[in-house]
Amino acid sequence: MLVVAGLTASGLYLAQRRANADVQRDLEQNFQADLAALHRVEEVRYAALAERCRSLVAKPRIHAALEDNALDLLYPSAKDELRDIMQDESNPQPDEISRLPHARFYRFLDGTGSLLPPPNADDVGVLGPEEESQLALKPLPKTQQVGYLLRGRGTEEETIDEIIALPITSSETSEVIAALVIGFKPLEVVEKRGPNDVRSGIWLNDWLHLPALPEDARNVLDQKITRLLRDADKVEHSSRIDISGEPYLLFYKLLNPESAFPPAYEVSVHPLQMWFALQNRLRWQILIAGAVLLLLGFGASHLIANRLAQPVEKLAIDSEVNRARRKKVEAALASTHEELQRSTRFSADASHQLKTPVTVLRVGIEELLRRENLAPDIYDELSALHHQTYRLTGVIDDLLLLSRMDAGRLKIDFGAVNLTELINEWLDDLNALPDPLGLDVKAHLPSTLYIAGERRYTSLVLQNLLENARKYNRPGGRIHVTAREEEGSIYLTVGNSGPPIPAEMQPHIFERFSRGANGETVAGHGIGLNLARELVRLHGGDLNLVSSDVEWTEFEVRFRPAHDLAVNGERPV
Amino acid sequence: MAFPFKRGDNGKRDLMNVRSLVASLSIFVAFSTVVLAQATIEGRVELPKTKSAPVMAKHYEIVTSGGVLGTNPPLAVVYLEGSFSKPANLPTKQVAQKDLAFVPALLAVQVGTKVEFPNLEKDTYHNIFSYSPAKRFDLGRYRPDEKPVPSVVFDVAGLVTLRCDIHEHMRGLLLVLATPHFVVTDENGRFRLSGLPAGHYTLKAWIDSRTTHEHAVDLNSGSTLHVDFP
Repeated sequence: MLVVAGLTASGLYLAQRRANADVQRDLEQNFQADLAALHRVEEVRYAALAERCRSLVAKPRIHAALEDNALDLLYPSAKDELRDIMQDESNPQPDEISRLPHARFYRFLDGTGSLLPPPNADDVGVLGPEEESQLALKPLPKTQQVGYLLRGRGTEEETIDEIIALPITSSETSEVIAALVIGFKPLEVVEKRGPNDVRSGIWLNDWLHLPALPEDARNVLDQKITRLLRDADKVEHSSRIDISGEPYLLFYKLLNPESAFPPAYEVSVHPLQMWFALQNRLRWQILIAGAVLLLLGFGASHLIANRLAQPVEKLAIDSEVNRARRKKVEAALASTHEELQRSTRFSADASHQLKTPVTVLRVGIEELLRRENLAPDIYDELSALHHQTYRLTGVIDDLLLLSRMDAGRLKIDFGAVNLTELINEWLDDLNALPDPLGLDVKAHLPSTLYIAGERRYTSLVLQNLLENARKYNRPGGRIHVTAREEEGSIYLTVGNSGPPIPAEMQPHIFERFSRGANGETVAGHGIGLNLARELVRLHGGDLNLVSSDVEWTEFEVRFRPAHDLAVNGERPV
Repeated sequence: MAFPFKRGDNGKRDLMNVRSLVASLSIFVAFSTVVLAQATIEGRVELPKTKSAPVMAKHYEIVTSGGVLGTNPPLAVVYLEGSFSKPANLPTKQVAQKDLAFVPALLAVQVGTKVEFPNLEKDTYHNIFSYSPAKRFDLGRYRPDEKPVPSVVFDVAGLVTLRCDIHEHMRGLLLVLATPHFVVTDENGRFRLSGLPAGHYTLKAWIDSRTTHEHAVDLNSGSTLHVDFP
């Protein structure tokens, strides 16, 4: 921002300085152009005048008067010849004619350059003796000379006349025998006389003719120019000066270089007050405009930066929040994992710690049962206890299995398992068991049906399902087992008659330690279905409750067929 | 000189012509009676070198060289200075303007001679004038057929420069002499003055506006003197 401001400021400064220099240069160029234009006009005028004057000095009568020793006839002859060039002061011509250069006076110089006095000054333009003496040119120049004549110095009628001296060459000797000096009113540029306009005049013979300036200012300027001409440029010059505290730009230029007449300078002064005011105003305008632009720029850039920064900030906050959340979740996950690990370890440890005392218990009971002198009631009691130890071992095994599964340590060692054979074995076992309910067990099975699985775990699934079907049956009820291969999967259904699972319980029957509302009357520890489902899923299949109504409850297991293993690159059948 | 006889319708002019005829006749008679008693001078004037070869022998112009007026090719006027009786009647001479030049370019006349300045151009005006001290005059502008022919009587001896106010380059010279005894030399400077009275005189040779040679001569009746200038 500082850099931008600095750059802008220096830019403004340079621009302003350049504008300053431009103004001065423009003024100078204007002056030079004006002067050049004036000089061009003058040149044309001189050419016209010179042509006219040359034809005048070639006039035979004037030559005759000068060459034939008839000086008394010089002015009378010239009066006739110059009649049309002399300005008739008493009878001013119409504008168009008066715009042609008209002489205000003329005089002849003799061969030595002295003035030939006119017999009648009224005919040749009245001049004072002092003025006449300024016309003399000694020696007589061989070429045309331009000069200026100050008349009525210091008076109200102070004027400057332009004078041209034309040598007259004898047609007999080819020598300059005389000269004609003609005075004209100098060409006046139409000047506006506003306070800020250019004033120009002529400096001649240590005197500045500049009626547009007040007398004291003119005096000051006069002295300055006199000093400058003495010390500095003798031909042209421009500088800045102060006249009574006000700034001006001063230019002067020699009007009649290499003239035999005294040097005259065109002098012009430009008041700079207005320029300065204008420049000041311009400077302020530039400054204010620059400042406003700068401010606008800053504002705009600020807005844009804000708008750009907002989403970034939001992103930063969001990401911070996210990070916090993630950390929290990660922490929670870590603690959950830890808890899981701990609980899994606990189950495993607990199962192991439990198994030993149960075994000790069973072995002790078996020792007692071997005694022969046992009363029959005690024997029955001990037999029941012995049976309970087996049940306890089963629960502990299930828990061990579950905890291994939870810890992700249980891997199925896939192979082809003959499902039909396995079911038949289990049905045989079921038939061997005491059957207090008198159940009717039926199976519809293909002769062979291989699934992908590990026999001991597939067997566990079947045991769980078949035991449930027997356990939750009614007296004289039925059990129906089917198996079939369908759409690349093998489906096993185990249905049984018995009380239905209440609808509100159905979604929870596969949860650990959940038992049917009426289940309390039936032996079981509430992990059978959960274990079965987990095992089936490890087999790559699923276990679902298909239906449960008043008459019939049916579970369906889906297995992968054994030939899937070959396709999946697992162990072939 | 043919004009007077052609203008028979003007009685006054006729009278004048008759008078001038009588005058020339009387001069002729006087000349013939004294011719044997008169002296003669002949000789040669050394003329300035011509700057350029003359284009035509009979064409002369007034040239200026170093402020000196003379003719080109150079001619001189030889005259006998002295006091002579003024004749009652002098022949009228002419300086014509032809092709923007005076013809002749140099004319010598005796004091009191009337000189006419006829304009022989086709349709050009002339304004012959002179500011010379010997005779100042200004004939004003006149046409070729201006009548009467503008003329001036030259009554003071001296050199008169003839100019034209319209044609600034035109110059003519008129040498007005107090003597009746003068002659213009030929291009080689040779001259012959005869019918001169006996006596002691000064013979002068005018060469240009600045140069006049003179030679003292003693003239005896019937003799012929040889004088070379300078």
